[in-house]
Amino acid sequence: MQDQRSSRAGQSLGGRSLAYVLMIVVTALWGAPILWMLVTSIKPESEIYAYPPTWIPDVPTLEAYGALFQRFPMLTWFRNSAIVGIITTVLTLAVDALAAYPLARMQFPGRRIIMGVVFATFLLPYELLFVPLFLGLNSYGLVDSIFSLTVPASANAFGVFLLTQFFQAVPRELEDAAIMDGCSRFGFFWRILLPLTKPGLATVAIFTFVASWNNFFWPLIATNSDETRTLPVGLATLVGGAGMSMKQSVLMASSVVATLPTAIFFLALQRHFVRGIAATGIKG
Amino acid sequence: MSSVSSQPAGRSKARRASAPEGGAVRSGMTLAAYLFLSPYLALFTVFMLLPTALPMVALGLGLAMLLDQKLMGTALVRTVVFLPYVVMVSTVGILWGWLFDKGTGLVNYYLTMIGLDPIAWLKDPHWSMPALAITTIWWTVNTNMIIFLAALQDISEDLHDAATLDGAGPGQRFVYITLPLLRPAMALVTALTIINGWRVFGQAYVMTQGGPEASTFVIVQYIYLTAFQNFEMGPAAAAGVVLLLITLVFSLAQMKLMKAI
Repeated sequence: MQDQRSSRAGQSLGGRSLAYVLMIVVTALWGAPILWMLVTSIKPESEIYAYPPTWIPDVPTLEAYGALFQRFPMLTWFRNSAIVGIITTVLTLAVDALAAYPLARMQFPGRRIIMGVVFATFLLPYELLFVPLFLGLNSYGLVDSIFSLTVPASANAFGVFLLTQFFQAVPRELEDAAIMDGCSRFGFFWRILLPLTKPGLATVAIFTFVASWNNFFWPLIATNSDETRTLPVGLATLVGGAGMSMKQSVLMASSVVATLPTAIFFLALQRHFVRGIAATGIKG
Repeated sequence: MSSVSSQPAGRSKARRASAPEGGAVRSGMTLAAYLFLSPYLALFTVFMLLPTALPMVALGLGLAMLLDQKLMGTALVRTVVFLPYVVMVSTVGILWGWLFDKGTGLVNYYLTMIGLDPIAWLKDPHWSMPALAITTIWWTVNTNMIIFLAALQDISEDLHDAATLDGAGPGQRFVYITLPLLRPAMALVTALTIINGWRVFGQAYVMTQGGPEASTFVIVQYIYLTAFQNFEMGPAAAAGVVLLLITLVFSLAQMKLMKAI
């Protein structure tokens, strides 16, 4: 028996067959809703509610996508989400890396307290912050702006936590040598530390972007016009109104458009997601 | 000041979540009384946390153990289970809202195919929470799976080898080796699951708006409704503090458990 791990579910043929059956069931249960979304989005009107339901459209069409972009400000929402996502990601990387550097690599009075406070915000359910945040932004007239969707999100304990760990792993001798050679603290940070910790920065960037792209509650509160509304909030307005029934193909097309960027991101960069979750246990 | 100050954004939302029984939620009522005595939150605790948290932990572990094996195709299955992670909550709500539709939803179609009666799911107060729970499990169980997978991969295979040599079967190895070594991961996953259970909002907002009959009215929706629809910032902020306390209790319990191990 050369493979111990496979023996955990029983190395017998029966055990392995059972594992494969379970894997097929799991794939079907988790994959079917996504597939259904894709399939429905390219169905013509006559096939959407066909009984029994069909998994392969007879006459695939993109008319739902056409209707979606013509009748709703999808492009504006999409653009807002992209702008907010990119600004938030850049700001978060800047703030978190600059915060993590001294916390990880310098000795100064109060370091442990500051670290404790920063990491304690990890435990805060962020819903708690929305009332004071809203009141504060409102008193400066900043609600319903890109500012309100990006700046508050950039102080992110998850990023500080992850980058602190990455920064601590860089040998101290490297920093001493660089400074001996006349490199400034910031020069070391910019030219040596950041390039060496690219995987950590990538993980933070990916998580921040996906979290921003999918963020629902805060943009729901902080936006009230299509000029600033992001995709999640915009999509939620599509299913609004009890009596209003939108064609399912259009709704599913909207879901496909909204999911595509993060899905591509994920398929290309899967290991970063896995590392981030395994390290911190967060849900975006 | 700007026009914004008199018109918080929430008001113009396309939909208004309806408060349970109209005016039952009053700022005059003390918040503690509302939060702890409200049958809705009690219902929520029982019907959301238990049915969601238990399967979330058990299924997360089950999936991790299934996909930790060196079998062909595990990487693909992991990817499929993980994919919902990147789907935004509005999309999850729209998609599952239709899957659970009484007349045209796929869930009922397959239920009737195996001979069961169709269920009104989101329109039936008894079934709305289970429907939300299933949706939530589909959407987020992958996080638990990943944490368990990481923990499983840290368990030395020598331990299993030794136990096998000593005559331990798969069941015994699971109970005496895997489970004890998974305790830190178990504590983390359980705490995260319960905390996130208290923070559920988007699914309920998109799929049921807290209904029917307030059967899916959750604490974050109370915050949303009170602060941003009724503009009673005080009670909403207080509800936020209660949420914080609940979160802290579970976080501290988890840390204590981790230390005790």
